[in-house]
Amino acid sequence: MKQNMQPDFAEVKRFLLDCPPFDALTDDQRNGAIEQLKAAYVNEHNVDKFFNDFSPALYMVRSGAFDLLAPDGHLIERLESHDLFGYPSLLSGRSVVNRLTVVEDGIIFIVPQPIFDRLRRDSKAFEQYFIRAHSQRSLEEVARGKPNSRQPVTVDPLQTSIQEVLTRPPVQLPSTTSIRAAAQKMSDEKVSSILLVDDGALVGILTDRDLRNRVIAPGLSFDLHVNAVMTQAPATVSGRQTLMDALTTMTQNNIHHLPVLDENDQPMGMITNTDLMRQQRSEPVMLISALNKTVTREQLIAEAKQIPAYMQAFASRAANTTVVGRLLASLTDTMTRKLIEFYEREHGVAPASYAWLAFGSQGREDQTLSSDQDNGLLLADDLNERQLSWFEGLGDWVCSGLGDCGIPLCPGNIMASNPECRRSVAGWVERFTRWTESPTPKALMYCQIFFDSRMVVGNKRLYQRYRAEVARLGQNEFFLGNLARLQRNVQVPLGLFNRFRGTESGKDSDLIDIKRYGIALINDIVRIYSLQAGLTEPRTLARLEQLLEGRLLNRRDNQSLAEAWQFLTQLRLQHQLEVWGTEQPKNALDPDQLSTLVRRQLKTAFRIIDECQQGVAMKFGRSG
Amino acid sequence: MAWTQAVQRWWQRRHLLNQQWTDARYVVVDIETSGLDANQDVMLAIAWIEVHPPCLDYQSARYFVLDSTADKNHDLKQSPVVHGLVQRDFNESSDSKLVLHELAQVLEDAVLVCHHTHLDWQFLQVAARHHEIKLSPLGWFDTLQFELRRLRNQQHHIPRGSLTLAAARGRYRLPDYHAHHAFNDAVACAELMLAQGYQYAGSAKASVKNLLQVGRVRL
Repeated sequence: MKQNMQPDFAEVKRFLLDCPPFDALTDDQRNGAIEQLKAAYVNEHNVDKFFNDFSPALYMVRSGAFDLLAPDGHLIERLESHDLFGYPSLLSGRSVVNRLTVVEDGIIFIVPQPIFDRLRRDSKAFEQYFIRAHSQRSLEEVARGKPNSRQPVTVDPLQTSIQEVLTRPPVQLPSTTSIRAAAQKMSDEKVSSILLVDDGALVGILTDRDLRNRVIAPGLSFDLHVNAVMTQAPATVSGRQTLMDALTTMTQNNIHHLPVLDENDQPMGMITNTDLMRQQRSEPVMLISALNKTVTREQLIAEAKQIPAYMQAFASRAANTTVVGRLLASLTDTMTRKLIEFYEREHGVAPASYAWLAFGSQGREDQTLSSDQDNGLLLADDLNERQLSWFEGLGDWVCSGLGDCGIPLCPGNIMASNPECRRSVAGWVERFTRWTESPTPKALMYCQIFFDSRMVVGNKRLYQRYRAEVARLGQNEFFLGNLARLQRNVQVPLGLFNRFRGTESGKDSDLIDIKRYGIALINDIVRIYSLQAGLTEPRTLARLEQLLEGRLLNRRDNQSLAEAWQFLTQLRLQHQLEVWGTEQPKNALDPDQLSTLVRRQLKTAFRIIDECQQGVAMKFGRSG
Repeated sequence: MAWTQAVQRWWQRRHLLNQQWTDARYVVVDIETSGLDANQDVMLAIAWIEVHPPCLDYQSARYFVLDSTADKNHDLKQSPVVHGLVQRDFNESSDSKLVLHELAQVLEDAVLVCHHTHLDWQFLQVAARHHEIKLSPLGWFDTLQFELRRLRNQQHHIPRGSLTLAAARGRYRLPDYHAHHAFNDAVACAELMLAQGYQYAGSAKASVKNLLQVGRVRL
């Protein structure tokens, strides 16, 4: 005869299995914890007494919604089903100072301190979960590129550092060497390019193609010094950067040879297109070179049609999602350059210097497969009618070509086919001035797109002149004040489930738009700091890295923003792969479909954004 | 001396009934039976959990499969299938006398709570009398009756099925429970009782007696 049989704790057990870190416990540990649980029905009439009587303890929300408030009354967290709280006091031993209020009555489980301590001792996973959560590092795992769901992720060859794949020391000569001697050296060393180094500093690069185009074709003397024909001040990468960085730099500059420098700017070697191709399973390189090999618009479109399928395979393997956005930007860059090349073949070369500009997500290199075009043309000053009409034709040709390649036309008409988006430096400056000085909501929206710019192809000096002017305009305090107030208007959801969201954030929808209420907000926050610092870098993560040197954004917030951004872009990518080929929204998630852990991380990300929005409003919002 | 003890006990109970409803102890019971007739059918399993508002205390959780089938040489009707009990469970069943004895102890000075108390109480009484055990809870609270009264007060038409445990819980936005098992039902009922109690009392003072008026049982 058996006396008290173990009650079947089926419901609690099912709940705990979906409530990390309790899912990591053994059955015995979990059952032991359940036997010591209390479940409280918490409502406005008993909440104060409840929180006072049982603290410190670990609390788990089973149903309802509650707000955890700091002593000064500001909302720390809106707690919904499966959220945990109370553990900071258990870990730190400090007394409980926060307050709890009720949004909707519900049930809260209480794990008393002795049980919490015992579980920490008995289970390493349990212990680690809370240590991480307490130090607010719960997004770290994602940020470091560890997968948080579904398929295991293999190592992505493009994330390898460049220095790991350099096979030989640099082949180099002084720039005063004769062309003949340089060619001889290249032949001896069996290389297609050579570095020109004077007094330890890289001054130029000479390639097979340069010999053909700049020496043999024009019939120059082979006795000249190489510095007469070399490419001066070439684009470079550092050995510590990744192959993806090398690939992007090559694509952006339309080059196949890239000198690699060490920390002291000393040449370490050369990385070539072929080196990248040699990396196993490097579809990105293949894709780009396939695009580059096309000779007609039709071929280009045919190749471009393959991209989504390739991208899906690539993206599901990519360890670090930022690579995906950058790759898509690189592919778009390549298509753009090819289309320009085809246009020039038919209509003659550009009649004046210009720069093709990428804005928005292409500019920031966080493009997705559903991102639409944002581009424009920067033109030399004082063009005549004929020249202007050449560029008008170019704008139409490229934008419609990109559209046919699968990059949707911009519904807001921010495209080089629109005369408003083809301007001289003075013309652009005039527009930016208008936006920054009379900041209507529409103008501010434009700024969020136009201030994230990058040159895809064209005259570097022209672009730099433009970029410097624009950066100067962006530092206007009055304008920054307006941007700061604007970014505060879009509030992140407090809770994830629609009746607890508390803001306009898709309150009537079961879905949460993580682009609008997440990624875009981080871009906005980081943009404001970057404008203030006068940075010309458009990429959000790279901006954050550069902002580390400044004082205005503290290190902790900087890191948190980077982690939240990576988490959200990764979540969005996973979602986009899942809804692939369906009509489902590309940026909106159903919180019910997320695991408990991801839901908690999403809330953490929103919390970080909310805090940083407040920071921006405080630092910039006062002026103007 | 017996009468002084009785007076003392009466006095004690009066005191307990006049205290705040949140200061009282509640024992929420759910039983599984082989049918609906307390004189014909038997209890197959019993579960209970104690409530000290606002908390359910899992440490007090009890669940027993009873051997009363053996006592009465009873066939298992369809009920055990519903409750997921199979013959195997009865091989390890508990002596109902000991179980009722333990229940009698926890019910001392506590309020008995059930969803549809009338039925459960009849079965408990029959079994207790059989073993000459006296169950004397401080009072009875029926979550079903409470709900019935509440809906009537709001002059609701009361559609069929709206008084089930699940339907009543739904009106308080309590979570959906799927498992059908005496213990889960006891927990579900306990949570419902708390939700009802707080809804009834609000922040006003309400005694145990007041609360039992609303959730009173026609026995």
